[in-house]
Amino acid sequence: MRASNGEKVFYGVNYLVLLLITLSCILPFLNIVALSLSDAKAVMSGQVSLLPVGFTFFSYKSLFEGTPIVNAFWNNIEITLIGTFLSLAVTIMAAYPLSRKQFYARRFFTMAMVFTMIFSGGLIPTYLIVQKLGLVNSYYSLWLPGLVSTYNMLIMRSYFSNIPSEIDEAARIDGCGELRLLFRIMLPLSKPVLATIALFYGVGYWNAFMSVLIYINDTSLYNMTVLVQSMIMSTTAVQDFSDPAMIANLTPEGIRSAAVIVMVLPILLVYPFLQKYFVKGVMLGSIKG
Amino acid sequence: MNLTGAAASQRSPGSAMEAKHKLKLQRMRRFKANIPLLIMFIPVILFYLIFRYAPIGGLIIAFKDYNFYDGVINSPWVGLKHFETLFSDPRTLEIIRNTLLLSVLSLIFGFPVPILLAIMLNEVRHMLFKRTVQTIVYMPHFFSWVIIAMMVTTIFSLENGAVNHWVESLFGKPYEFLYNEGSWVAIFVGSGIWKDMGFSAIIFLAALTTIDPSQYEAAGMDGASKARQIWHITLPGIRSTIILLLILSMGRVMEVGFDQVYMMQNPLVNDIADVISTYIYRTGLQGAQFGLTTAMGLFESLVAFILIFSANYIARKFNEGLW
Repeated sequence: MRASNGEKVFYGVNYLVLLLITLSCILPFLNIVALSLSDAKAVMSGQVSLLPVGFTFFSYKSLFEGTPIVNAFWNNIEITLIGTFLSLAVTIMAAYPLSRKQFYARRFFTMAMVFTMIFSGGLIPTYLIVQKLGLVNSYYSLWLPGLVSTYNMLIMRSYFSNIPSEIDEAARIDGCGELRLLFRIMLPLSKPVLATIALFYGVGYWNAFMSVLIYINDTSLYNMTVLVQSMIMSTTAVQDFSDPAMIANLTPEGIRSAAVIVMVLPILLVYPFLQKYFVKGVMLGSIKG
Repeated sequence: MNLTGAAASQRSPGSAMEAKHKLKLQRMRRFKANIPLLIMFIPVILFYLIFRYAPIGGLIIAFKDYNFYDGVINSPWVGLKHFETLFSDPRTLEIIRNTLLLSVLSLIFGFPVPILLAIMLNEVRHMLFKRTVQTIVYMPHFFSWVIIAMMVTTIFSLENGAVNHWVESLFGKPYEFLYNEGSWVAIFVGSGIWKDMGFSAIIFLAALTTIDPSQYEAAGMDGASKARQIWHITLPGIRSTIILLLILSMGRVMEVGFDQVYMMQNPLVNDIADVISTYIYRTGLQGAQFGLTTAMGLFESLVAFILIFSANYIARKFNEGLW
């Protein structure tokens, strides 16, 4: 069937608008990349748009040498890896029993959990509890209060319950216990949903900001978001520079841009591998509701 | 009547016992299967009790004069004093207004965007183009607000921002986008939409795949234009997903994400940019006014709760309720 004139216009406009939206997502980012790789003079005079002007790694050099970004980077890694592992483990521990038909009071537990999605105690009472437990200034204050996201738990639960019951009946007849069933059969079959939820938790921990701002006072424990934020807020981006020649060559924009790239790069590295999974994961959530 | 009586008399006492035994065995088996599940579930129960339900109990300090020495339980009661303060102070009323303004604007302008984006993506026949667009527009969702806020300030900054570069060459002088309340609100709402439109579109794209393509073919045969097809086939096809997400977003009307506001606000727009979450952080945590800010938090939670319930109530009238 040939496209009518009206359809041709429709498709043309559609492609054009999508192209513009895509550009709007990619151009600001290219600008940051260019800023981080340009020399100070070009950055200050506003010449840099999408390509670096006066190509140099100077911003990165001063970022790594003059700010505690490397320390913050390792803090990010620690927060993200341990946090994602803990959250994923406890989410499985919640979702798996709730997906089993023979589990006692599963309706009650599910309702009690969903209730916390629509009504919460809020920031101050949560803070007082974290303080009371002595978790302030330790990463447990980042991991424990947000350990399980009920939304993620529901996605995982519906994935587990959609696994055909013939599979686990067969396993049970062969004398497979609940734990073996979980580790040998359910989890290997649930890789897409596990990857999706690990990605959601991982990104949450990697970008953690408010929790670090609230619970972490020791600057050596700061993660990159809070460090970069404090760099943006303070006029002197770089803390200890003794060499005046270096300071003359520095621009806050250049260093901030370099810091943004350091923050984003790990996400960009894992993103392509996980994209197909999270699309599937989000869709699952939508179908079950 | 007769028949059932006959059936009962035919059942021998032995088989009744056997059935009882079987039931008992079944119960035993269920109990046995539950042991590992329950053990596994203990940390989950602890988590929800300590970090979800205990804070809800902690909301009582909204009615108390909380001080650190007496703690949550022993601090003296003050009744509704904090609420009276909140609703009589013009500053806190302004904060509540700002929160509503920013989130309602975000909802009105932000809600249709992912739907439109999903419909547009759904019409793309060129697979490589579609996949590339998707990959790129999903991405900002995964970036922290520090990054987005920095990009925004770089682009709209007065001195050497890209936008003011054009504005200056067109009108002769730059515009203070970030320091005027109107343009700040527009940039705030716009950047929120921009960050999440792609990711939120995924769920609608998923709903779109459930529409039977033969409907479009039939409509095309009958000479229905693209616009009519979208209006009569596509939108009704994803109606329940739209309603579901609308209900969920109603619950977030009292919520303006802390990270975004905190990083985008500046002293010149404080009269419009100060919202409940930043107020609780500043006055509660930094100013140690726990009782007062908990009252604000309770007010926020209650309004959200009422909104999500009434949204669901209305949706149920159309048989689209969430529960």
